[in-house]
Amino acid sequence: MSWVTSIVRFIHAWRHPDEVAREVEAELRFHIEMRARANIEGGMRPDEAQRAALKSFGDFEQVKTSCCEISRSLLFDSRVLKMGMYIAIAALAGGAALWAVNIPHHSFTGVLWQLVAIAVLARAFIVGRRPIATGRTFRNKILLRDVGEERTVSIASHDEQGRTPVERMFGSE
Amino acid sequence: MGKSKAGLLQGTLDMLILKALSLGALHGYGIGQRIAQISGDELKVEEGSLYPGLYRLERRGWIESEWDVSDNNQRAKFYKLTRAGRKQLTVEELNWERLAGATRKALRAV
Repeated sequence: MSWVTSIVRFIHAWRHPDEVAREVEAELRFHIEMRARANIEGGMRPDEAQRAALKSFGDFEQVKTSCCEISRSLLFDSRVLKMGMYIAIAALAGGAALWAVNIPHHSFTGVLWQLVAIAVLARAFIVGRRPIATGRTFRNKILLRDVGEERTVSIASHDEQGRTPVERMFGSE
Repeated sequence: MGKSKAGLLQGTLDMLILKALSLGALHGYGIGQRIAQISGDELKVEEGSLYPGLYRLERRGWIESEWDVSDNNQRAKFYKLTRAGRKQLTVEELNWERLAGATRKALRAV
């Protein structure tokens, strides 16, 4: 999917949340129906098959909400977007400050502009620091994605018997 | 060895979905069935967790979807792998081989 398609879908999902929700629901209901059919073919009564299908699916509303939220999220990490915005703000602020410093300061207006320039530069410095912190996130999210936090945490987690996921996968009963 | 409920590493579901779709377009239910089939019924995807996974993969551009008619003449959303998804599957397979090999090595160390 191209960036354009992604953005079009993102805008569509925001503009028509009900339509997206209906599509998600139709998709999930199709799954449950297919499962119920399989249960009937496996020998269950229709009502029993439907109940079992709903149970095996899990929390329908939760899944639906998750899918709708993902549809409404951007393709790229919003922190990367914020980083870009901070860089743009810092560049604009820095440019404005440089322009103000070059104004002759023998008049009251000139002095006022210089004060504004100092305030803008100070603000740009504060805002400009944020990309450094966000930059680390960017590196972790994009460049080091293969060793992301999710997987690391998952490897270290244990089940009720105290086994790690790796032991559960490779270990025998 | 008896069958146990296997816990999967996060990220594995993405790889399994990509693998299932590398064999052809499928709807969500079919993806779960195909994963079970190609793993010899060893792996069972939690049905509810499949869909957020599919939406995430679609958002990343690794799969794409369209509504079509299923075998039983019902309207269903079918997913297929994109070119980017095929490349990603290769990357995921290599990573998995490395992880599995390294973990096996570590577990066998005395």
